Amino acid sequence: MSEAGQACVLVVEDERQIRRFIRLALEEEGCRVHEAETLAQGLIDAGACKPDLLILDLGLPDGNGVDLIRNLRHWSDLPVLVLSARTQEKDKIEALDAGADDYLTKPFAVGELRARLRALLRRRSRSGEAASPLVEFGKVTVDLSRRLVFRAGQPVHLTPIEYRLLCTLLAHPGKVLTQRVLLREVWGPAYIESSHYLRVYVGHLRQKLEDDPAQPAHLLTETGVGYRFQP
Amino acid sequence: MRHDHLSKIRPDRPLPVWQRAGLAFVSCALTSLLATPLLGHLDEANIVMLFLLTVLILAVSLGRTAGVVAAFCSVGFFDFFFVAPRFSMTVADGQYLITFAVMLATALITAHLAAGLRRQAEIAARREMQTHALYEMARDLGGALSLEQVEEITRRALLTSFGAEALLLLPDPGGALLPLSPDPAAPRPATEGPLARMAFDGGQPVDGTDLTGRPIIYLPLKAPMRVRGVLAVTTSDAPAGQLREWQALFGTMASLVAIAVERLHYVEVAQSTQIEVVSERLRSSILSALSHDLRTPLTALVGLADSLTLLKPPLPEVALDTAQAMHEQAARLAGMVGNLLDMARLHAGQVQLRREWQPVEEVIGAAIKLLGGSLAEHPVRVALPADLPLLEFDAVLIERVLGNLLENAAKYSPPGSPIDIVGRRLERAVEIRVDDHGQGFPAGQTEHLFDIFVRGEGASLKPGTGLGLAICRAIVDAHGGEIRGENRPAGGGSVAFTLPTGQPPRIEEETP
Repeated sequence: MSEAGQACVLVVEDERQIRRFIRLALEEEGCRVHEAETLAQGLIDAGACKPDLLILDLGLPDGNGVDLIRNLRHWSDLPVLVLSARTQEKDKIEALDAGADDYLTKPFAVGELRARLRALLRRRSRSGEAASPLVEFGKVTVDLSRRLVFRAGQPVHLTPIEYRLLCTLLAHPGKVLTQRVLLREVWGPAYIESSHYLRVYVGHLRQKLEDDPAQPAHLLTETGVGYRFQP
Repeated sequence: MRHDHLSKIRPDRPLPVWQRAGLAFVSCALTSLLATPLLGHLDEANIVMLFLLTVLILAVSLGRTAGVVAAFCSVGFFDFFFVAPRFSMTVADGQYLITFAVMLATALITAHLAAGLRRQAEIAARREMQTHALYEMARDLGGALSLEQVEEITRRALLTSFGAEALLLLPDPGGALLPLSPDPAAPRPATEGPLARMAFDGGQPVDGTDLTGRPIIYLPLKAPMRVRGVLAVTTSDAPAGQLREWQALFGTMASLVAIAVERLHYVEVAQSTQIEVVSERLRSSILSALSHDLRTPLTALVGLADSLTLLKPPLPEVALDTAQAMHEQAARLAGMVGNLLDMARLHAGQVQLRREWQPVEEVIGAAIKLLGGSLAEHPVRVALPADLPLLEFDAVLIERVLGNLLENAAKYSPPGSPIDIVGRRLERAVEIRVDDHGQGFPAGQTEHLFDIFVRGEGASLKPGTGLGLAICRAIVDAHGGEIRGENRPAGGGSVAFTLPTGQPPRIEEETP
């Protein structure tokens, strides 16, 4: 966190009016805002201003935003929120695989933007704290040190893969994890194309942990992209 | 020059038999006349030699018939004019009978051999000409750039070499064999469809006679990949036997034509593919530019209207309401633009399905969540059988279908009424139904619900372009499913779509 406890956010977006309302929303959240119009300028500013968060439009005129994320990830782990159009699932996945943390689909409501912003900043400020072995969401408590899962006080049996999948999701609260990343982390690199495994096992987890498995509240689907754990 | 060359492929029209015989007789008579003054000076044996020479020359120049006639005439004249008693066919010395026999035998053998030699030479020369003609035709066909040129070259080659008329019959897109000839004035055979069809289907030459009684041959154009058409050849001035004799040669020509036609076919395929690629790229870039250009101001509009509500100190309530209304309208406009662009992309064939095996339950949950606020007044109840198989579909698009159906259901049913999503396993598909408790569809309109821009009667009171259901149908069609709407007997509308089941990939059991 930079001086005076104010988070600094860098917005890379070529459309002035969009930058304008993003700035309004961010200032409302008590952030300082830097603006950049192009990828090149964005990369320079990311190094110079040391922002706490980067908001990046993928459709910039001077190149692919994914390249900026890849470059950034060599030397920084600052959270990246990507803005993209609805039809660009491929770009979103590419950006997330390259290291982006979350995305918003245009057009988006300001409330949604602020919620994502808060979640990302909270995670960043919390990253220094000592991790607690207990994770709680809904009626579920996961004891990571003893590898036990309880729902409404009752122990829940999870298979090893189910438990590994749950832990991977819990390790990145609020972050969208692409199918690729989850398959690699949980099943191993040989299973990267076997997305049906992931889908079936997420289904199992929902059956065991969600109140309404058909309308989950915590283990959320990002259709066509991946999954997100919402605490 | 070339014409002279080619025209020799046809054998010279020989003189009639009686003329050749007459010439042989006259030649022998002349020989007798020339030899008579020499009778005193030359031995009779040498006079025989003169006659044999005459026979040889006649056989070489006029063929076997003339040679045989000359052989008999020579013996006759020799006996009559030179053997005693002269000017009589009688012979005094019996030995001359042997002379006559040997002379006749020698003359006949000479005539036979000489005529054969001449024939061989003629055949060799003709073969060479034919080869040359084929070579020239192959060369011309190699450079042909259009089917018209191919036909022109073929017709010219057959006309100049064989005096034959040719017609190229090529299958049209419907498979009917049609002549190509752009020049109706050009001489062409009157062809018969069934015979040409027989040659085309059977891949073998078919003989026939055309409507005027001339012999005609239908030659299939056999190219490496398939039969490309039929070459019909007819000639008015050669007998049917001659046409058959040339058939092998015509066959070779037909394969040259076939290769040329096939080559042009693939050139055309390559060109049209290239054109298609270019126009696809253009369409795609127009769509993505449109999509970007429309979405950017809409995003700004939605966001700016939104941020008015954040201002401190807060705006008066009237202004806040206005800002909220602006936000809603802009968001709706964005939804319509999204629908229009989706429809354009689906119609342009731009959408590539990213099909993956997955449970349908997940995408239902995602669609409900995506709609969020607009479903606030309608509790959604999901009832899926537990044993639904994994289905192979594009999650983003099916989410869109469900989203549109849920949105419609919410729009056309009274606030507070529930919406049901019901799954059902069919024989070869899974059916997903979205039921509402509204008024249902107007009677007789369920047929046209999914046509583009069609909206239910009375729907004009509600916002919407009528694109939603058309998009649903396009997406479900692309997945090989069906979509239909109906009114439930219990009241309310219902739209059901199916997704075909298949062979889902196996999932290895976990080894604990």
